[in-house]
Amino acid sequence: MSGLAKQFSRLLAIRCIPNGVRQILPVQALHTTNVLDKNWNTANTGPRKWLQYNKVVHPPQEPHEEPRNAYVCHMKTNIKYSPDKMWYIASFVRGMTVDEAVKQLSFILRKGAKYAKETILEAQKIAVERHNVEFKSNLWIAESFVGKGRYFRGVRRHARGRTGEVEYKHCHYFVRLEEGQPPKDYYLPAPKTPQEQFDEWMEGMRKRKITHTL
Amino acid sequence: MEVITGAGRNCVKLLRVIQPSLVLAGPETSVLTTQQFRERHTKHWNPKWKKLRREKFVKVDLPNFEEKNDEIPKEVLRSRMKERGVLPPRPWFERSFYISCTGGIFEPYVPPEGDGKKSFISSTGAKQKFEFLEKKSKSMLAVRKIRSYEEDFDTTQFATEAQDIYIKAHQLMAEKNKYAIREVISERAYPEMMHNIRDKTIHWKFLQSLEPPRVVHARCTDLITKENIFAQVTVRFHTQQILAIYDRFGRLMHGSETLPKDVLEYVVFEKHIANEYGVWRLHEKIIPDWMPAKQPAPITFRIEEEPEQPLEAIEAAKEEKVEQVEAGKGGEGSKEKLIAA
Repeated sequence: MSGLAKQFSRLLAIRCIPNGVRQILPVQALHTTNVLDKNWNTANTGPRKWLQYNKVVHPPQEPHEEPRNAYVCHMKTNIKYSPDKMWYIASFVRGMTVDEAVKQLSFILRKGAKYAKETILEAQKIAVERHNVEFKSNLWIAESFVGKGRYFRGVRRHARGRTGEVEYKHCHYFVRLEEGQPPKDYYLPAPKTPQEQFDEWMEGMRKRKITHTL
Repeated sequence: MEVITGAGRNCVKLLRVIQPSLVLAGPETSVLTTQQFRERHTKHWNPKWKKLRREKFVKVDLPNFEEKNDEIPKEVLRSRMKERGVLPPRPWFERSFYISCTGGIFEPYVPPEGDGKKSFISSTGAKQKFEFLEKKSKSMLAVRKIRSYEEDFDTTQFATEAQDIYIKAHQLMAEKNKYAIREVISERAYPEMMHNIRDKTIHWKFLQSLEPPRVVHARCTDLITKENIFAQVTVRFHTQQILAIYDRFGRLMHGSETLPKDVLEYVVFEKHIANEYGVWRLHEKIIPDWMPAKQPAPITFRIEEEPEQPLEAIEAAKEEKVEQVEAGKGGEGSKEKLIAA
């Protein structure tokens, strides 16, 4: 249809509308749903990569090789808790055995501890059921970190008719359990023993260079 | 929610006890029954400011990310959908069914006890051989029927052909080739073969046949209409194979890379012979009752105890069964009910 004909038909269509009837948008065209809701918001998918690590299949090992340690990744998304606060808990349990972490977390009076504990216990269950982990206590927390979830903006009233912005924060909690015993020093090397310190000093003394000598 | 209040100097300290969330159901919940956490305790002691404190913030309707879709009560769901002007989804009553393969074995072959161990020379072996010939008449009829559709069908030739299909199916399974495997196994066998290879590496090798494969059983049946005929042929394989299964981390879970094992199998092959383009495909394996118990897995694992059903539930289930049986006697109309149940 040529452009002119199109215009003509449009004119006709407008003429067909009886006078006095106002064209209003149909209700369905308006965005009436709760935009915050996860199920109605396709843009909100959450972290996608972390659980994909559980699908990695490693090549078979030779009989003489040391068996590879099993690991399992797990997460809890959109926890109604600030990621800044959750960070303390996430870094607290890093490098602990699962049993120790669960025990410690039950005595932490922070809301995030509950979520961390739940996630760890779930991960432990998954490890035993699906990832061929023999003993459920033989697991340690190799990785534990926090991600930023959905933030919702709110308004706060201030004095003199001013307003402020409030953020209602959500966070993701990620954990990776690994089979075996945790390393002795997860973060830093242990402080040296007196003997080691002495040996190091001795070594340094012997290696020093004295100028203008034989 | 239980609230423990302890009066501080000029503020109220709050220790809240969280109820376990619905996420973890099972024995773990007992661990999570009480988890305390401390609320902020910097509020003014006098509750008269409570209202003003509240009014500082404009209420925002935050979504509850913790709730699960299938745990929302019906009334709540209904009210929410009304609020958003969404129609409920159309209920799905249709039952899909597949007509290019059958759902099982009809008149399955019963393998003779002790097969593969007793020689034909011994008395029991000879007896088995005799019985085997006796049962053959029905199979002969079925073979004749197959021949009416597939003119050059020959049982001895088919046995070798079946072995090729058998080897190819297993190789493709080990390769995890989920597209090519559809051409050699039927839709009934597909989920069974593909389910357990997830997250695993399988090394499978076919070494040799100890005895030449032979057709032991053949049956034909029609589905829906008389002309729609399926043929099922059971082939006996006595072979030597090597199987090693590795888990996701490459650790040996089962079998061995070097140790060959003798395998005696009765494999059912199926073909939709009414279909001009039908092919013989691996359909199922017959596992006899007398087969010795499987070798247990080398790792230790915990057997999950099933929760004991309360007496009332068991009785209710029994009553339902009785009702169903009675309905089954009633007639054709009630048969449909049975299927639905």
